[in-house]
Amino acid sequence: MLRPHHHRRFRIYRLAAGCAFFVVLSIPRISARGELTGEQVFRDQCARCHGNSGEGTKENYPDPLAGDKSVAQLTKYIHESMPDDADEKCSADDAAKVAPYIYDAFYSADARIRNKPARVELSRLTVRQHENAIADIIGSFRPAIEWGTERGLHAEYFNSREPRGDARKIERTDAEVRFDWGQSSPDPEKLDAQEFSVKWQGSVLAPDTGTYEFIVRTEHAVRLYVNNPDVPLIDAWVQSGSDTEQRGELRLLGGRPYALRLEFSRAKLGVKDKEKAKQKKAEFRPNAHTSVSLEWKRPNHTPEVITARFLSTNVAPPLFVLQTRFPPDDRSVGYERGTAISKAWDDATTEAAIETAGYVAEHLKELSGANPNKPADEPILRKFCTLFAEQAFRRPLSDDQVQFFVNHQFEAAPDFATAVKRVVLLVLKSPRFLYREIGGTPGDQFDSAARLSFGLWDSVPDRELMSVAQKGELATREQIVSQLQRMLPDLRTRSKLREFLLIWLKASQPKDLSKDPKVFPDFTADVASDLRTSLELSLDDVLDNPSADFRQLMLSDSFWLNGRLAHVYGAKLPADAPFQKVNFEPDQRAGVLSHPYLLASLAYNDTSSPIHRGVFLTRSVMGRVLRPPATAAAPTPAALNVSLNTRERVALQTQPEACQGCHAMINPLGFTMEHFDAIGRFRDVERNRPVDSTGSYLTQSGQVEKFNGLKDVAAFVAASDESQTAFVKQLFHHAIKQPIFAFGPNELRDLQQRFAKNDLNIHKLLIEIVADSARPADHRQ
Amino acid sequence: MTTYASRREFLKGLGLSTASLPFVLNLPSFAYAGEAPARRQRLIVMFSPNGVIPKNFWPDVVGNEFVLKESLKPLEPLQKQTLILRGLSDKIRGDGDNHMRGIGCLLTGIELFPGNIQGGSDTPAGWSKGISIDQEIKNYLQASATTRTRFGSLEFGVMVPERADTWTRLSYAGPNKPLAPIDDPYQMFAKLYGRQKDQENLRSVLDALQEDFKKLESVVSAQDRQLLEEHTTFVRELEQELKASDARSADHAVPQLEPGIKETNDNMPRLSQLQIELLVSSFAADFARVATLQFTNSVSDARMRWIGVDDGHHHLSHEPDTNEAAQEQLTRINKWYCEQLAFLAKRLADTPEPGGQGSLLDHTLIVWTNELGKGNSHTLENIPFVLVGGGLNFRMGRSLDFKGVPHNRLLLALAHGFGHHLQKFGNPDYCGDGPLNDLT
Repeated sequence: MLRPHHHRRFRIYRLAAGCAFFVVLSIPRISARGELTGEQVFRDQCARCHGNSGEGTKENYPDPLAGDKSVAQLTKYIHESMPDDADEKCSADDAAKVAPYIYDAFYSADARIRNKPARVELSRLTVRQHENAIADIIGSFRPAIEWGTERGLHAEYFNSREPRGDARKIERTDAEVRFDWGQSSPDPEKLDAQEFSVKWQGSVLAPDTGTYEFIVRTEHAVRLYVNNPDVPLIDAWVQSGSDTEQRGELRLLGGRPYALRLEFSRAKLGVKDKEKAKQKKAEFRPNAHTSVSLEWKRPNHTPEVITARFLSTNVAPPLFVLQTRFPPDDRSVGYERGTAISKAWDDATTEAAIETAGYVAEHLKELSGANPNKPADEPILRKFCTLFAEQAFRRPLSDDQVQFFVNHQFEAAPDFATAVKRVVLLVLKSPRFLYREIGGTPGDQFDSAARLSFGLWDSVPDRELMSVAQKGELATREQIVSQLQRMLPDLRTRSKLREFLLIWLKASQPKDLSKDPKVFPDFTADVASDLRTSLELSLDDVLDNPSADFRQLMLSDSFWLNGRLAHVYGAKLPADAPFQKVNFEPDQRAGVLSHPYLLASLAYNDTSSPIHRGVFLTRSVMGRVLRPPATAAAPTPAALNVSLNTRERVALQTQPEACQGCHAMINPLGFTMEHFDAIGRFRDVERNRPVDSTGSYLTQSGQVEKFNGLKDVAAFVAASDESQTAFVKQLFHHAIKQPIFAFGPNELRDLQQRFAKNDLNIHKLLIEIVADSARPADHRQ
Repeated sequence: MTTYASRREFLKGLGLSTASLPFVLNLPSFAYAGEAPARRQRLIVMFSPNGVIPKNFWPDVVGNEFVLKESLKPLEPLQKQTLILRGLSDKIRGDGDNHMRGIGCLLTGIELFPGNIQGGSDTPAGWSKGISIDQEIKNYLQASATTRTRFGSLEFGVMVPERADTWTRLSYAGPNKPLAPIDDPYQMFAKLYGRQKDQENLRSVLDALQEDFKKLESVVSAQDRQLLEEHTTFVRELEQELKASDARSADHAVPQLEPGIKETNDNMPRLSQLQIELLVSSFAADFARVATLQFTNSVSDARMRWIGVDDGHHHLSHEPDTNEAAQEQLTRINKWYCEQLAFLAKRLADTPEPGGQGSLLDHTLIVWTNELGKGNSHTLENIPFVLVGGGLNFRMGRSLDFKGVPHNRLLLALAHGFGHHLQKFGNPDYCGDGPLNDLT
């Protein structure tokens, strides 16, 4: 890398100065400064801290010089603030020379790609991919689930103490389970108030991966089954003492439905009353209250009734969810990737393989259709193991491989169940399962199939995809796109996109949104949980719409509110109103950037934070590079500057030149959100002074955009090439988990243009991204 | 010289709390010099249902010169290690019928909560209001590093029905916290030895796995090979770890289990034998020091065709005393249960105490009990308690009659036998006068 520049430097110098070579080396500062090149200025004035090629130096400035300022911005910045440890700054002339030099040599994105071409690196499955893959490999031996269009649960009401077919009096769909029958029954004509039972059945959709707590509240007997038709998660069929709340915890993978069955009995169980006593109607708690509700506590939420949008009347087959926990993936480059391994990770893969082998052995009959104790069933079991390995490796096994992975185990193991366990262990510990990019021959269609499924689902291909690859029908772009279109409506795709939007909005990680109760007494944990629901509903709106329009994200003037949120944010809804779309403050708000969840999460517990908001707009939305602050600074507490409002205080604190390098970009963006306080509520006045939410942004092409408030920013972002490019790049990395420039220096620009041409349709963008990634890998020898 | 039942008691005697334990143990010249380590103590509670036939069960003579009646004949070879306690009564009343309270209050010594489960008479009830004595002792042993084991306690069952209600649960981890016994020997085997089997399987595929890595290293680029090479070092480490773990467990072989025994009524004798073998080997491996062995459930209607009894047990137990045929069959049923007890005791007696003196039985107390005194009257007076083994230093080889003492006092005595000097257990009204006297 260095050498060509040396040569060029010498050549340029000789041409310019016409002097002897030696003089250059010994006396760099020759008489006429104007004749120095940018590189010489850099060596002379900058390399001390930044290293000879801008790679950084340990002692002074360890980060490499890289970023996205334009040459003009760089020039201005260097002239005004460099070197930052001396009062005398770089002259305008020198800055004008050195800026284009570093821009071309290593600073700009183009230079970086040229200097160090990105490549598709061998990567292991990420944790999410590992969990999904194992669930789907086992799921491939079970029927698929149709989520269907009917929301709610199938309900049956029985005039008997336990659900019994011949006593069924009512059959209907209940949108949710939240009933209070007082001292009566759901239908006094058909059901005895002292002896009836109910069965609710269907599936529940887990939107995110994590631990879910299911809660049933009732005065009577209940049993709740989730993802396991045989073993209840909550067994309170024996109602004992005065407990009216039953809880059970379960880890679930996001984007998947789980079978759910709730059985309820308002009756005396155990030994039946004698017939004689029955005629007398032996009373059982005649005055007892009868109510039942089915709630859950989702990750990042407070307990709430499970609403219809998460329920289906269709019953899902069981899904195997690994309980083994993995160490978290490396996210240091902005997206999860699997380019590093550790002992802890390897141990987790062993645990996961053991856990899966145990599960397969336990369910062997159901999964394989064979009886492991019956010698005649051996061929069926071998076939099952071969299919298992093929699902896991994402390709058919050669005869040798069947011999190696399957037959050898059957020959060596003492019994069939042990043989199956060993095959599962060997397969799930094999690099063929654990690494995404280990495949077959270049151009192999099974590789493409796996790229499509990992791209859209973070999982292994389904049977259909494997069969298309087998038939050789995954060769052309059209064939690939047609498969992707088939895969797009799958709940797993939705889950992946939804997670992406939350990551993009910096809302994916658990966040403590709690606020100072003295300043915001209404802002309870339930309100924070509702706000998140509201944001999720907005995102679902965009993704549900076939146009999946990026601009809708930015410009929509409706928000999802319920009674509790309406009360806090000053909208007009009854206190108990369920979530509904409300045209809310359309003159002040537009799209997700003005969503109170986002504004509240980018704020302190009592005041707004223009810096957090500005950094979010700069980095996530505009995709600009910001370095961490050179010196850490605690924000000036509001109380110390009672005369200043937040904007003035932040402006004052970031005034020093050392700050302005970044804050010149951060502050004017962050200030545009100042009309919203620490919980994202609109305000006109702060500390008795009118709020000023004007701001600006200097684009990469050097244009200054002026804003008057957040709505202007939203309109700009919706139409800006820069924000679209940032969105494309982040979605690419989220979907593919490889650097976008490994797919060509023009890939990003090209995808952004296609995005714009496709009316900024996010679904189409995802399809373009994944289709592009399905090209043969370049890492193989 | 005062003897201390445990190190904790010893330290208490010195006025030291357990918090100072590590410090004390670091002073070899102090305390333990010359003293043998505290011996292991174990408890097994064995349950069988529906009462007994008193005239064929209780010895006529109190003291050590007693003769075993028909139901207890299988204990003859173990008579010197046997202690028969007559006259203990389950005084707990409240909600639930006698079968429910019989099993639910047997080891908890406290009432049932009001609930929705209706018995054959009385008011409906729920679960017990308290912890059971086996779990109390388990918690006590698990609290100290010197007596802590992998599981603490194991709950074995034989033909326990697949339903959770007051009649099927004997042990409680706390109020409203019934523990389900494991009655499938294969499930119990997996719990005890699954890990060792997993490691065995893992070890058996490691060579193949390493071969697979080698094959793949040649098809990836030089840059990517580095990652795979790093990965193979982890595989080699795994191999080393498995070897080390083998060496550690070499002194305890995994028992062989006859495969494919289904849980059916007629398989009960074989299931019983498998569970007893697993119980003995789990104690030999020191996986736990407390266990329950629950045969069927309260009100069980098992049909013991293998001893020529075709009628259901519960059904028979309701027959009046005048029905001689029923009396004889019920005696036979209890004798069969006693044979299970004798087999368990013999297997323990045949197994040397690991790292100690004598046999496992010398360091284990088995308590065989029942939810009723007598089936046809449903009485909770004279609950059967037959004790075998030397685990708690009780004076064995005797037959005693307490003439109506609350059974809570026996529960207290069991705790005290472990050095856990509880003042009260279960309902305090029945704990007056403390642990049963005359046992040690």
